[in-house]
Amino acid sequence: MAHLAHYKEAHPLPFVITHWINLIAMVVLILSGFLIHFPFLPFLMGIARGCHIFFGFVLFINCVVRVVMAFFVKSAPTGGTRQQVTDFKTWLPQKDNRHQAGAWITYYLFLKKEHPLGAKLGVPQKISYLLIPILILIMFWTGLCLWGVTMNVPCFLATTNLVGGLMSMRIIHYFMMYVFICFMFIHVYLANVEGFEPTKLMFAHKEHGGLVYDPDLHNIVGEDRDVH
Amino acid sequence: MENQATMSEFDSILSSRGVSRRSFMKLCAGIAAAAGLSQLAVPRVAQALEESVIGATSGNLYPVIWIEGASCTGCTESFAQVETPDVASVVLDLISLNYSETLSAAAGHSVEEAKAQTIAAGNYILIYEGAVLEAFDGNALRVAGETGITALVEAAESANAVVAIGSCAVNGGWMAAHPNPAQALGVQQYLEKVGVTTPVVNVPGCPVNPEWVMSVLVDVVVLKDMDLLLNRLNEFNMPGDLFTQTVHDNCERRGHFENGEFVYEFGSKEEEMGYCLYPLGCKGPQTRSQCGVTLWNDRRSWCVQSGAPCIGCCEAKPSDPGDNWVEVNTPFYKRMRNLRIGDFEFQPTTIAVAVTGLLAACLVVHGFGMKISGRMDGGAPFEKIRKWDSKHPEQEIGTYADPVKGGPVESEDLVHKNADPRKKN
Repeated sequence: MAHLAHYKEAHPLPFVITHWINLIAMVVLILSGFLIHFPFLPFLMGIARGCHIFFGFVLFINCVVRVVMAFFVKSAPTGGTRQQVTDFKTWLPQKDNRHQAGAWITYYLFLKKEHPLGAKLGVPQKISYLLIPILILIMFWTGLCLWGVTMNVPCFLATTNLVGGLMSMRIIHYFMMYVFICFMFIHVYLANVEGFEPTKLMFAHKEHGGLVYDPDLHNIVGEDRDVH
Repeated sequence: MENQATMSEFDSILSSRGVSRRSFMKLCAGIAAAAGLSQLAVPRVAQALEESVIGATSGNLYPVIWIEGASCTGCTESFAQVETPDVASVVLDLISLNYSETLSAAAGHSVEEAKAQTIAAGNYILIYEGAVLEAFDGNALRVAGETGITALVEAAESANAVVAIGSCAVNGGWMAAHPNPAQALGVQQYLEKVGVTTPVVNVPGCPVNPEWVMSVLVDVVVLKDMDLLLNRLNEFNMPGDLFTQTVHDNCERRGHFENGEFVYEFGSKEEEMGYCLYPLGCKGPQTRSQCGVTLWNDRRSWCVQSGAPCIGCCEAKPSDPGDNWVEVNTPFYKRMRNLRIGDFEFQPTTIAVAVTGLLAACLVVHGFGMKISGRMDGGAPFEKIRKWDSKHPEQEIGTYADPVKGGPVESEDLVHKNADPRKKN
């Protein structure tokens, strides 16, 4: 067993909830979006449109709440510890991340045999996660440009004209969905490929023992065998 | 009484054209609605029309020059085919169509002279149909020894306003579709290019709806208020009241859309039922136009009523010939346009699914790699020391058992500090 211990402190309850909401909202949005794109289940069209708009707002508001909470809720800066810092610090470059981008990339390309030491979020992981709120914002904005109720609001109309009309806007919104799908593929794959412990922790708050990491020494200091 | 005399004179003009008073008032209501006025303005419109028509008998007509650019003459056809006299012909009698390649009875030298005289006298409106062609050194559309672009510039410079009718005149339309060998563009963009500042009013459509053209003419010719027209224009210089809502908003099949009743195939039972044409690529949801309200062919029918999905012919961004409606909306029966890289055309779904599929395949291959390298059970063992730290011992990030070889700092206290749930800080 080579992974770090999975403690609840890495993902405090509020973030477990926002993660659940993200998952549900994104899945509903993608499925209802496909239905709206082409009504292959025509009887669901009305429900799909209603859900799409409702969960669009849910996803956006959830994103805002999550970002705001990052400044108030504490979470562990690295795996394998119960020590916590204010959450937003775990999103900025940490000392544990420094010079480790290459290590992660070479590790995943099988050019490096050993697992890199790092923060809770590795370098490529941190960058891609930070893009998600931006993606959600773009999705929300382009969605409002397409929604009949808001399409003629000056700011949305101006955006539509900027990208070359409603057809281009529709295609942008559509392509962005595939970016989400691609992200979800990679995210689900990497989170689970070395074992399902991270998923159990994130969804069910189920802890698992493992190596203990000290965020001050930036190194492993032993092993926790008490939690299984 | 003077009032009655006026009425009877006007009525006689109307009746001589086979128009009843009732249909005249319907026309006034239609014009008021088209001009974005409330129904309270109907008497005002009626009065203005009456006065103008009476003015017409005394020769006080508003001069109009109608020039054909690169067009199929479909807009003229559309305009000319309003058969009941009550609508278009009454209004047409309000203007003096001094020059039109298609409609003028005169031809040759005499009509060219009429045009020159009108331009010299000024205070007229230029209606321009079709695209402007810049290719062939500007030699296209040569009429009476004059090239198309010089004819346009000459007539536009002295006009009170230029009305660009039809999508071709707005931004090139069909003419500007890929690969656009004639370098077609819209009137507004061309006039801006050559520095002509006459206001341009864009009325897209393929062809343009005659009632929309009328509603523009009504402002200027009937109500004699250029500001009334210019204030109606949106950011594309189109009458905003006509091109703000989408075709989808006012579609007669919208109820079927809401019910989830769709036509998936022409000739099917669903088509017979008059269901929504959305799956057949109807561009109604993204096309801003009032077609479903104004209707076509003397308010008889329109594309969707006749069973065809909207093909988005009113999509036209005046500043961008590449945004012509053909480019934006083909293939007509697909949900989205084709994208193009060089000569390679594809649907957005094709490229998106291909990229996503490729990614999924890469992940599967990667997964086998992870399996073979034994990383699936908790990943590979951790590195003893960061590469950077081993090379730069003086700038080390981590603290190791050995500063050069690395290795974990085994410490019961630190394990306790980090792992004990009661010691949470």
